[in-house]
Amino acid sequence: MKSLITPNLIKFTLVTIILTILFRIGLSTSITNGMMIAVILSAIIYAISMWINGSYFGRKEYEYLPIYDIGFRFHLSTFIAHNLISLLWFVFGFESKYENINVIYITALIWSVLLIIHFVYYLSVRKSSIKNLDKEDLFE
Amino acid sequence: MTKEILPELLSSWEETYKKGQLTLWIFLALKDGQKYVDEIKEFIESKSKNTINCEEQSLYRNLRKYEHIDVVTFESKKGNKGPDRKYYYLTKMGAELLETFIERNIKLFFSTEINNLLKK
Repeated sequence: MKSLITPNLIKFTLVTIILTILFRIGLSTSITNGMMIAVILSAIIYAISMWINGSYFGRKEYEYLPIYDIGFRFHLSTFIAHNLISLLWFVFGFESKYENINVIYITALIWSVLLIIHFVYYLSVRKSSIKNLDKEDLFE
Repeated sequence: MTKEILPELLSSWEETYKKGQLTLWIFLALKDGQKYVDEIKEFIESKSKNTINCEEQSLYRNLRKYEHIDVVTFESKKGNKGPDRKYYYLTKMGAELLETFIERNIKLFFSTEINNLLKK
């Protein structure tokens, strides 16, 4: 378990937390001020930043030690960070008056289905690993 | 025409043949004794008569994997200058793995039958 929580995963999660907070600030401010373009832009910038974040730390992780399955571990940490921050956003009352907490629950519900599918895939690929390293990529 | 493509064929075959050999060379280097990365690189290049070239980065990456699966470990020792050096060596399981691999895949080339064929 310890070997699955790597320094790169921790750095990725910290950047995810920062990006999600920035996204929520942008989103709530834009909604409050009725700026639809800004709402769309916030979502696009957040998506692109997260993609760069995942690619950068994912590549670093693979180059350091290709532990299976990089994709699922990064996905799980994104799921936890994003949904926890979104929930806390409402708990602390930072949301716009036009935002509804049900959107957070529905997002988390749909996302968790995708996460479960990814987890099933993760379990299936784990079978072809030795100590979480891909058997076929172990010896060069 | 046929002879013209011989170097190309040889190069293509050698490229495929060399894939997967790095592990064997790293293990042989460590069987020879504890070494730090520069020494492993030097051993591989000199003993393979420069047929196997390895980047330091690639060696580090492989050594990290072997360390993770407990076939290689290291001890830190003082270098001439700068920080401590990691001297890598085979664990008991690593030595056993190499021994079994050699027995099953390398020693067959030393059988009289194959030896005679190679000499033909």
